[in-house]
Amino acid sequence: MGARIAGSIGGRELTLLVAGLVAMAIFAVLSPVYLSAGNLYQVVRNSVELLVVGLGLTFVLAIGGIDVSVGMVLGIAAIAIGNLLLAGADPWVAALAGPLVGAALGAFTGAVIVFGRIPAIVATIGLLGVYRTAIFALLGGSWLSGLPSSLSDIFAARIGGFLPASYIVILAAYLAAFVVLRRTPFGLHLLAVGNAEERARLAGVAVRRVRLAAYVVSGTLCGLAATFYIANYRNVEMTVGSTVALDAIAAVVLGGTSILGGRASLLGTALGVLLIRVLQNGFTIVGLPSLWQPVVTGVLLLAALSLERLAASGGVRRLAFGAP
Amino acid sequence: MKMLKSVLAATVALAALAGAAHAQDKPRVAFVPQLIGIPYFNSMEEGGKKAAEAFGVDFIYTGPVDANPVDQLQIVQNLVNQGVEAISISIIDASAIAPVVADAKAKGLKLFTSDSDAPDSGRDVYVAQASDQGLGETLIDELVKRVGEDAKIGFVSGEATSSNLNAWIKIIQDRVKEKYPKVTLLEPQFAGGSSDRAAQLASDLMTANPDLKGLIAVASSTCPGVGQAIESAGKVGQVVGTGYCSPNTARSYIKSGAMGFTVLWDPAALGYLTVWAGKQLIDGKPFVASNEVPGMDHPIPYDEKTGILLLGDPTVFTAENVDSFNF
Repeated sequence: MGARIAGSIGGRELTLLVAGLVAMAIFAVLSPVYLSAGNLYQVVRNSVELLVVGLGLTFVLAIGGIDVSVGMVLGIAAIAIGNLLLAGADPWVAALAGPLVGAALGAFTGAVIVFGRIPAIVATIGLLGVYRTAIFALLGGSWLSGLPSSLSDIFAARIGGFLPASYIVILAAYLAAFVVLRRTPFGLHLLAVGNAEERARLAGVAVRRVRLAAYVVSGTLCGLAATFYIANYRNVEMTVGSTVALDAIAAVVLGGTSILGGRASLLGTALGVLLIRVLQNGFTIVGLPSLWQPVVTGVLLLAALSLERLAASGGVRRLAFGAP
Repeated sequence: MKMLKSVLAATVALAALAGAAHAQDKPRVAFVPQLIGIPYFNSMEEGGKKAAEAFGVDFIYTGPVDANPVDQLQIVQNLVNQGVEAISISIIDASAIAPVVADAKAKGLKLFTSDSDAPDSGRDVYVAQASDQGLGETLIDELVKRVGEDAKIGFVSGEATSSNLNAWIKIIQDRVKEKYPKVTLLEPQFAGGSSDRAAQLASDLMTANPDLKGLIAVASSTCPGVGQAIESAGKVGQVVGTGYCSPNTARSYIKSGAMGFTVLWDPAALGYLTVWAGKQLIDGKPFVASNEVPGMDHPIPYDEKTGILLLGDPTVFTAENVDSFNF
């Protein structure tokens, strides 16, 4: 399988990896504290929620869909987990409630898109408003704060005295996503639907079921991200999840998953998330005002998309592989 | 839906009035918050009730369910039509209130603002919680007391476009320049509205500046992130977190020591002062430069020119007193 993973590393993944390493080298030269273990741990730690949401969004983009409401799904799942913890529920029950609530919301989102026959961008902009208001109503105008640390303790526990439990959950989520996408008929169907929906239908793929399932997977992973969110921050504020969708879509597209569907790279998504977080962290470390950080994410995204266009139009394939 | 909400809001207001109508012998003071059912305004209501008992008035507390300016205006209009003697409002939309103020004046009623102002509306008085100046200076003074006069201090703010947050930062910067020349203030970082981003910025600031002594959460939405970052960096005791955070938001971080203290005002005291001000207006007693208010431990300043009654110094919440507040 190792060879297979290595074989799936295309030009985009390599480009991201190189870009990330170059950026890290520059930051390391500019600041002596950059390469400290503590800082690198922070970068990974701060990537977790975005990575988990990004893995799910990779499935959605693979079928040619989109979901701008993922941050709100994270928020609602976080409220459910928080309320369970406040009510004194077992932390394992609370941890499971996140993905369950996420799956239910994902199924709802998918149903609206698939059975309502509404374009995904329109449907999820609408649902973004609905979910945001739901968050407001559920929180009743105040925040969930001072949640018990029982959930945090589980995820902070070190397996074998070294590896944080949260890393194992992420690794498991990544491997599960990889197996589903690359080793099951469902994964093939996803990409087929994203490539040419009508042809997939004629070939006997249950298109509606596949599309619905992609949103359920994405919702479930948003719920898992909510579990991490609560474990880490122990509060839910009114603005929860407001920046998640944009960052996650940026990371997935950066990673080489096509916004038009039919092509997906989980490794690319992971590298995209890490690149965004590496840049955000590095800029703060070297003392650049945080106001500039969204500009960089935006420019990276535009660059990635125009490269994709160039590559798709043929003739300039070398550019897509060689350019930074 | 809109219609239904308005009718509902109006019904709530009427029901409140019907309840008050039984005791017509006492003058009535109303407070209309921006929305009902949130801890902050609940706290103001508690304070208002206490003052109503102390000063022999009937207190009416009613407001919109979702901070909608049209609903709020309708509720105020209803109170005016019922002839409630003094009506105070935490304004949502300052541009819409002027006609209602004129209407109230024509009926001989007192209409004033509390918590949030509409300066050009012709209101009788504005009961203000704390001045921006007071909030900024109290915060930096308290922080320097804890971290020393040569400390390095960072800011994590919310939206870069928010004028009140930027005003607080500016006041702190000016105060440092003038009073604590050896303190180093880092460039403010802006987290937007999310607490995960605030945590990220806070931990990056601590990494980049190993000698950092203080971290200020300027926006309330950045409070949990700053507290959390200090806890998970294991810097409790080395870095003092603080900010404009309500006790409920900051309680666990104040108790863990990640936040040394936070600064805001006490909404219960604000509610108390609001009802007192209403009673003064009804009795036709003018405000003086310094007012003795029974039940409050310090005189309340009044600024004739701006028509502002100021609650006074902000409240500092620490591990000792945080549990006696609930908002």
